[in-house]
Amino acid sequence: MSKPNLSLPAVEIREIRTGSITAFDGEAKELVSRAHNGTLKDVERSFQQCAGCSITKAACMTVLIQDAAVIEHGPVGCSTCLHEYNFTYLVNSGLRGVETPLTRRVFSTNLREKDTVYGGLTKLEKTIREVKERTDANVIFVLSTCAAAIIGDDVESVCDELEDELGIPIVPIVCEGFRSRVWTTGFDAAYHGIARKLINKPSSQNTDTINVINFWGSDRFSDWFAPFGCKPRYITPFSTLKDLNHASEAVATVQACSTLGSYLAAVLEQDFGVPEIETAPPYGIVQTDRWFRALGKLLGKEDIAEQVIKEKKDKYLPRINELKEKLKGKTAYVTGGAAHGHALLSVLGELGINAVGASIFHHDSLFDSGRLENDQLNQRVEDYGNVRNYRVCSKQEYELANSLGKLHPDILLSRHGGMTLWGAKYGIPSLLVGDEHYSMGYEGIIDYGERILETIENDEFVKNLQKHAVNPYTKWWLMQRPDYFFENKENKESKAEGEVNG
Amino acid sequence: MNEKIRQIAIYGKGGIGKSTTTQNLTAGLAEKGKNVMVVGCDPKADSTRLLLGTLAQKTVLDTLREEGDEVELSSIMKTGFHGIRCVESGGPEPGVGCAGRGIITSIGLLEQQGAYTDDLDYVFYDVLGDVVCGGFAMPMREGKAREIYIVASGEMMALYAANNISKGIAKYAAKSGVRLGGIICNSRNVDREEELLKAFAKELGTQLIYFVPRNNVVQRAEINRKTVIEYEPDSTQADEYRNLASAIDKNEMFTIPTPMTQERLEEILLEYGLMDSLKDNYNI
Repeated sequence: MSKPNLSLPAVEIREIRTGSITAFDGEAKELVSRAHNGTLKDVERSFQQCAGCSITKAACMTVLIQDAAVIEHGPVGCSTCLHEYNFTYLVNSGLRGVETPLTRRVFSTNLREKDTVYGGLTKLEKTIREVKERTDANVIFVLSTCAAAIIGDDVESVCDELEDELGIPIVPIVCEGFRSRVWTTGFDAAYHGIARKLINKPSSQNTDTINVINFWGSDRFSDWFAPFGCKPRYITPFSTLKDLNHASEAVATVQACSTLGSYLAAVLEQDFGVPEIETAPPYGIVQTDRWFRALGKLLGKEDIAEQVIKEKKDKYLPRINELKEKLKGKTAYVTGGAAHGHALLSVLGELGINAVGASIFHHDSLFDSGRLENDQLNQRVEDYGNVRNYRVCSKQEYELANSLGKLHPDILLSRHGGMTLWGAKYGIPSLLVGDEHYSMGYEGIIDYGERILETIENDEFVKNLQKHAVNPYTKWWLMQRPDYFFENKENKESKAEGEVNG
Repeated sequence: MNEKIRQIAIYGKGGIGKSTTTQNLTAGLAEKGKNVMVVGCDPKADSTRLLLGTLAQKTVLDTLREEGDEVELSSIMKTGFHGIRCVESGGPEPGVGCAGRGIITSIGLLEQQGAYTDDLDYVFYDVLGDVVCGGFAMPMREGKAREIYIVASGEMMALYAANNISKGIAKYAAKSGVRLGGIICNSRNVDREEELLKAFAKELGTQLIYFVPRNNVVQRAEINRKTVIEYEPDSTQADEYRNLASAIDKNEMFTIPTPMTQERLEEILLEYGLMDSLKDNYNI
C-alpha cells in the first residue's frame, strides 16, 4: 500500500498501491478476510483469453468531459474501442442534463513503424496543434500507449511546452496497458493527470456542493442532497473543465463505485482537503441507511439524515416487501467490475434473492483511503452473508461459461456489454443495466427489483435461443473446476482445506 | 534469399574497433575479387566511412523518412573501395525513438528493394556495441547473418561483452541456424593477450580466428578516411588484414557458443594475470 503522490508523472499501479488481484476462486468471506489481513496474492493463469487495457478506462474518464478533446498517442489500433464513448455520451447525456451533446473528439497520432524508430513526438506536437485548431477544446488529454512507452517518448515535455503556446491545459495521462494487468489502473491514471494539472487549490469554501465520482448514471443525487441543502457535482463524465478546476471546493466527496473513485477521492482528501465519506456507496437498504447517516455526520446534519431515512422507509418499504415476496427462492449470478458487482450482490441480498455465484473482474485488497468501511464486498458479507462460488475472473469468458453453466441460476446480472450473452446461451434470463445508479438507494431496490422480476418472467426468448445456441467449449472443459488454469494452486488448496474444516 | 551469400555479422564492445576491422577485412576480401556488401547497423552511420572516403552517405532510415516507402536502392547504396557496396542503416538522434527498431526496419527495406543480389559473395553487418535489445540481434535472427565474429581484446570489459553477445547467439542458434565463427582479437597490447584470448575462445567453444596486432598506421589511415589496405597497401598491417580476410574466407569452424558464468570468466582473467593486482589486496 502506498499513498497517492502527485509529484510523480505516473500513477502507481494498483498491484502495488491497493494490493489488487485478477484471479481468485473461493468464497467472498475468505477473499475479504485475506485481503484485509494482507495474505491475498495474485495468481497466474496458464491459459488466458483477452482482457482489458488501461487506455479504455483512462479514455472513459476523459472522453466524456464535455469540453475536452482526447489524443491517443500510439498506433491507431489502440483507439479501436474509444469511439464507443461517443455512443455512451450521446445516449446518456439526457440523464445528466446535457441538452445538445456534441460528438466526442477523439484522435490518434497514428504512430507507424517509422515513428517508433525516430520517436513520435513531432507527430504528437503536430496533432495537438491540429486538434486545438479543429475542436477549440478547453482541455486536451494525451493518452500514452505501449508503443510510445517502449520507445520512451517524452510525452509530458511536449504537453508542457505547448500549453503556453495554445493557452489551454494539455494533460498527459500515463496509461500504457502493459504497466498493470489490473486495467482499472487506467481510471487512476486519468485522475492522476487531472489532479496534477486541472484541479486548483481551493480558493473559497463551498459548503453546498458535494463531489460525486461516477460514470454516466442517472441523476439520483440531486434529490438526495436537497434536504441537506446541497447539490451534486458529478465528476468526471459530463463535467466541464471548470467543474474540475473547482473540484477542490466541495464539502465532501462521495462515490458511485469504490473501485472507480478510490484514487480521486483519496487525492481530493489528501491534497485538496475535501473529505471522503467514510462508508461504502448506498446499495442495499442497510448500507443506504449507513450512507445517509455518514453523510449527515459529515455535514453536521444528523437529524436530517434520520428524517430522510424515515421518509424513505415509509414511502418505499411496502413495495420492497411486495417484491421480496415475489422473488422469494430465486437464485442469481452476478458478473461485473469490482465494486459495482459487490453493489449488485448487496441489492440481491436486500431482495432476498440467493446470490449463488459471482464472476467479478478484479479485486482491490483495500482502497486508497485505507478505510475498511469503504469495502463494498465486506459490507455485503456482513450485511447479507457470504457468497459461495465467488470468483475474480479478469473478464475470462471461458471461466464464466464454466462457472455459470454449472450453477445455472434463475437470472444473470451484469453491467458490462457482452457479458450477458452467456446467460442467454444457457437459457438463463439475463439483465444488463449500464446505469450504475439504477440500483442505488431505496428507489434502486424497487427499480432494479422490478427489472429482475420482469426479466425472470419473460424468459421465452432465452429459452428459444438456448435450443439453437452452440457451446464452443468442450464437455471436458465444462466439467473442470473454473480455476483449472490457475498456476499457483494456493487458492484452491486453501479452499479445499476450508471445506474440510468447515 | 540466396543461400550462397555468406552473411556475417560483426559484434563486440563499443569502441573495440568493429568498424575499422570490418572495413579493413572487407577491403582484403574485395582485393581477392570477392563481391561484398557492408551494412552499417549503427545510428552514428560511420561504418563505411573508410571504404567510401566520406561520411556523406545518406542512411536508409533518413531516406525512408524523407522520401517515403518508395526508396530507390541507388539512393541508399554507394560503391566504395574495390566495388564494395556500402549501406548505412542510420537511426534516430540520441535520446529519442528506438535505434533497435530502426535496424529491423532498415534490413527489411533492403530485402524488399532487392539489395541482396546473387552475385554477392559476402554481406557484412557491422553492429553497434552490445546486443542491448532485440533490434541489435536482428542481423542474427531469421536466417540473416549465419556467421558471427566477435571483435575483442584482452581487456576485461571486452570479454564481458563478448560473453554476453555469445548468450544472444546461443539463444538464436537453434531457430535461425546462426553460428559463431570465432573471436577476432584487435590487440590492445595487454600482457599475455593472445593466450588469454585463446583460453577464452576455447571456453566459449570457439576459436581465436585471428590476432590483429596494434599498429599506429591504422589511426593514420582513419584520419585520412581510408582503410590501411588502401592507405598503405605495402605495410605489414595491410598484410595482417589480408590474412584476417583469408582466415575468414577459409573458416570452417562454426559452433554454437557455450557462454560462461561471470565467475568462470573472472577465473580465466585471474589465471592469465589480468587481475594480478588483486593478489596484493586486503585478503583476510
